[in-house]
Order: sequence, then C-alpha cells, then structure tokens
Amino acid sequence: MLVFAISDKGGTGRSVTGTNIVYRHALQGNDVCYLDFDFGSPTAGAIFSVSAVARGTRENGLHHYLRGECPQPRRVDVWAESDREGLRARPPGAGRLVLLPGSEGGGELSALTDEVVGRCVQLLGRLDEEFDLCVVDVSAGRSFTAELVLAATVRMPAIPFRWLVFHRWTRQHIIAADGLVTGADGLLDVGTRFGHDPEDLRDRIRFVRTAVLEPDAAELVGLRDEQRAWLSACDSELRELAGRHGVGRTAMLGKIPLDPVLQWREQLITDEDVLASKIANAETAAAFDDLAKKIVDDSAWEGL
Amino acid sequence: MLVMGEVHTGLLQNSGEISESTCRQVLGLMTGETVRVSRRPIVHALSPERLTGVDCALPTASRSRVRGVGTVVSRCAVTGGRVAQGSSYVRLVRSEADRRLPWSHYLARPGVVEVLGKAKAADLAEGFTGDSAPGCLNLGAVSGRFLDLVQASPLLDRRAPFKIPRTSLRWVAETGEPSIRFTLHTEQERTLRLTHPGPFTPAVVDLCEDLATHDWLLTSLLVIVERARIGGTPGAQAAARLAPAIDHLMHLWMPAARVEEWLTPFWESLERRPGFTRQWRSLVDRVRDQVAMNALALLSATAEAGRR
Ligand SMILES: Nc1ncnc2c1ncn2[C@@H]1O[C@H](COP(=O)(O)OP(=O)(O)O)[C@@H](O)[C@H]1O
Ligand SMILES: [Mg+2]
Repeated sequence: MLVFAISDKGGTGRSVTGTNIVYRHALQGNDVCYLDFDFGSPTAGAIFSVSAVARGTRENGLHHYLRGECPQPRRVDVWAESDREGLRARPPGAGRLVLLPGSEGGGELSALTDEVVGRCVQLLGRLDEEFDLCVVDVSAGRSFTAELVLAATVRMPAIPFRWLVFHRWTRQHIIAADGLVTGADGLLDVGTRFGHDPEDLRDRIRFVRTAVLEPDAAELVGLRDEQRAWLSACDSELRELAGRHGVGRTAMLGKIPLDPVLQWREQLITDEDVLASKIANAETAAAFDDLAKKIVDDSAWEGL
Repeated sequence: MLVMGEVHTGLLQNSGEISESTCRQVLGLMTGETVRVSRRPIVHALSPERLTGVDCALPTASRSRVRGVGTVVSRCAVTGGRVAQGSSYVRLVRSEADRRLPWSHYLARPGVVEVLGKAKAADLAEGFTGDSAPGCLNLGAVSGRFLDLVQASPLLDRRAPFKIPRTSLRWVAETGEPSIRFTLHTEQERTLRLTHPGPFTPAVVDLCEDLATHDWLLTSLLVIVERARIGGTPGAQAAARLAPAIDHLMHLWMPAARVEEWLTPFWESLERRPGFTRQWRSLVDRVRDQVAMNALALLSATAEAGRR
C-alpha cells in the first residue's frame, strides 16, 4: 500500500502525523517505510531523531535519485540509526522501520520529465514488493511533486494507493483542504488530466484533522463558562462548514488531538512518553495507533 | 581475464504461482524469440537474452581508472512460477586496440567488454565485489531493471501473498584451481568468488543463478519464521503467519537441479559449508512442527468442547 500525505499549507502537522502513523504501523508488526518527498523542507530525519539526516542527506537523497544522480536512494534503518534511546532497538514483534531521506538543500522539483516519472515508478514499485506500507510526504500545496506521484500511480494500475489530506481545524484550513482536492489544479483536476478516473481517485482520498482541541478537552478545564460556550459554538460552526466542503465526518479518516509535546517539539510519541515520563497524552498515542490501523482497513475506505 | 555478473532475485508479484504458459508470455520480452522452459524437477523458464551497450569506467579496488567498452548480456527467469530473477554478466577481455573501435566490432562479440588501459584481473575482481563505486559499470542496475520488467508485466495481479525484499548476488568467475567463496554482506547483498577449471561457459551463469535462487529462498524463509515469533505469540497466530511459507516457498528447494555435471562439486562444497540444505531442512522442520502442533491443539480443543 502506498499512502501519499499532502496538505494545502505548510505547518499543518503533515510530517509529524505521517511519521507517527508509520511508527505505529511498524509497532503493529508491519514492515514500513517513509519517503521524504518534501524537497523544500525534508524534516523527517529530525522527527525520527536520526541526526545524520536531520535536514536531509548530502548524498543519495530522494531528490538526487529522481534527478538520476544516483542509482538507488539511501535507506536509513531507524531502529539502528536513531539517536533516541527509546527508538534504537526494534521492539519484539515490530516490523522494519526505514526512512528514505530527502536531499539536503535540494529545493523543489523544477520540472516533470518522463525520466523523473520513470524513476519514481521504479522506486515505488520496488518498495511495494518489500514493505506493507510506504508513506510518501508529498509536501504542501500544488507542486511538481504532487503531479509526479499522480503521474506515477497512473503507470502502476495494480498497486494500491491512497491519499491523506492533512488540515488544521480552522475556517481557513477547512476551505483550503477542500480546494486542494476539488479546486482548479487540485488533486482531482490534475489527476484526471494525467489519466486517473476522477470518481475512483475521489474514493482514495481522506482527510485527517491535526492538533484538534476538543471543547471538552482537559486543557480547557480552567476556562470561564462564556469561553467554553463560545468554543462550542465555533466548533459546531466548523463542523457545518466542513460538511459543506466535503471535509466532514464521512470523508475524515481520523483526528489527532492537540498535544503539548508536539506543540513544543516535532517528534515521535512513544509509549514511554505516555506511560513512563508522562509528558504526552495517551489520547494522542491512541489516535496515531487508530489511524495506523484505519489506513489499511478497507471498511474505513468504502465509497463515499 | 574474468567474468563478472549480478543476479537479483525476488518474489514474483502475483497472488499465486503462474503456469508454464503464463511464464512464457511474461518472459517473451522480445517477439520472435522463444522462452526456454525446462520442466523437471521444477518448471524453470528463461527469457531470450538482451544486450546493453556500455562504455564506462570499471570498478577497481585500487580506484585506478580503467575503461571498458562492449555489451552486457541480460536475461530474466521464473522458477516454479513463483521466484523471479534479473541476471546480467560480462566477459572482460583485454582490448587489442588502445582506443574505442566502431560499435560493429563490439556487437560482433556479445557479452564481451574490452578493457582499455592497464588493469589487473585481481584489482577488477576485488573492485567489483567490493563497495560499489559511483559512476562505474553497474550490473546490478541493469539486472534490477530486467527484474522490474517481469514484475511490471500486465499478466501479474501484483497481489503477492507476502512482502519480502529482493536479494542481490554479485559474482566473479575465473579459470584456475577450483575454489568457491560465498559471502553474506548486508541483509540483502551477497558476493560469490568462483575459480573453475577450464574455460568459461554459460553453465557458470546457470550455477550462479541457481545459487541466487536458493539463497533467496533461505533468506526469505528465515524472515517469515522470524516474523511468526514462534513462542512469543499464541500458537494459532504463529501458525497463520507461517502459512505463506508452506503455500508458496517450501516446495521450491531443488539445489543444483539445473547445474551441469562438472560444476556440481561447487554446490556440494557449499552444502558442506555453510550448509544451505542443512539450514533449509531445519527451518522447514520447525515450520511443519509448529503447524502440526497447532493443529493438534485445535483438535484436542474441539474434542474437549464435544465432551462438555
Ligand atoms: N497534534 C499536534 N499537536 C500539537 N502540535 C502539533 C501537532 N501536530 C503537529 N504539531 C506541530 O505543528 C508544527 C508543524 O508540524 P509539521 O508536521 O512540521 O507540519 P508540516 O509537515 O505540515 O509542515 C510542528 O511544530 C509540530 O510539532
Ligand atoms: Mg513537513
């Protein structure tokens, strides 16, 4: 299964959520890999705490590979190379956890040629042979990278793929997320131009809400009644807006609560963070775990 | 001087094994040429050979610059309708000229790469089996692409029963006092150094491909057994995780089936050390015991329920 992670805006939590999903899926016993196609800002190395590739790699990064500068992109075994003690041993029953870092200072793709699409097809096809789940961080907004994977998936009709669109729970983000999918030059528009069937493609897209503050969250306990009532009203207004924009409950795969740890630092939330040091919320870890299951659960992906 | 090659082996991307006739279609990369099929003791289908022209640096251990011009021979194979391979090799020959000749010269010598400049066979052999140097002749890239061609065939459904990495076997063969050395590097990379009596023949390539097939089978069975976590998970769960090995791999072990008589001593030597078949048998026994024990447990549970 290939999963493409996209968002309309930067800073929505696409990388933090995508990496945590992959991590949880590995803990659930699957072989997984994470491809950092966010060529403008390849931060996945930092989130996995692999300092050698914190901002991408100088050699054999994904950008180098797609430009034809190396025969194969570098692979980082997170269980072996992470600097975080809690990650540096593969837990019993966990699958492989592999990062393909982006290129340091690579910059966005500047053109989409047939050779680049061919290399992308070759890479994704080979990874699909050996990994249960490959998550591709496609970067923010309309980009050559998004076009690249849309073009590549047309050439691999038998390989299953899905899209996750990440957005925050605000007016602007809800409208933008819808626009990224259904607007001019959005995913459906471009995908159809490359040869995807628009209805089939629509069924492969789900939304994920990030850093959501529920009106009944523990963080809000100290609020005045007036404030709580106001938040509640905002939330129902957003729900209604999301419904109108096709970003509502039925098209949503999951939501990740606002977490104090993630607000301060981009990182994986381990069980140790929840149970031992108690710095992260159990609900956050549970939400990642749940998404990691739903991403491959066909019943969560039945036609809309 | 010497012959070097690289074989990439992987699980054919199809839900079940494919029939002999589908093998023929999948491997019929070139129209008008036939796929060679042998049926006993296991169905083995071999594609027609293809040539790739090369003019590039050759890998050397000393990092000295050596140029090679000529053609690479490549082919694909499917064993038991289940295991797919891409395989390439070149015969290195000292060039009689000190510059590149017209292409017709090289095309008349398929699979030969002529070495321009001073080069020692040992330096080239070490370079090829050592860390791959960027910008040099990369037979793995060629073999990988041939394997991709098979895996991308529209006749395959792409719903393989389990996910498993490809392995690569890089080999060097020379004429001399017989010896064989098989080395495991990373989880997926192996090298083979072979010295055989008499001149090189394509039977040597068959031997290397046969070894690569069996090394991949063994590596993959090890991965599946590890994933099953025998003893660490309930028996039924472990047995379920072992099932794909029984359905898709365990009947494929046929060492040296396609190896010519004069080369079988090499296989026999590898059977003594490291002992491929010994390790395979012990794994197979372990899988069967687990599954049998689980079946017994199920039976007695059912009987128990019947008595109550
Ligand atoms: N669930 C969350 N709760 C709080 N902060 C979050 C959450 N998810 C992400 N963040 C924070 O939001 C910021 C942007 O996240 P990031 O994953 O880098 O976004 P993107 O990849 O979309 O640019 C980071 O500082 C990150 O730690
Ligand atoms: Mg990011």
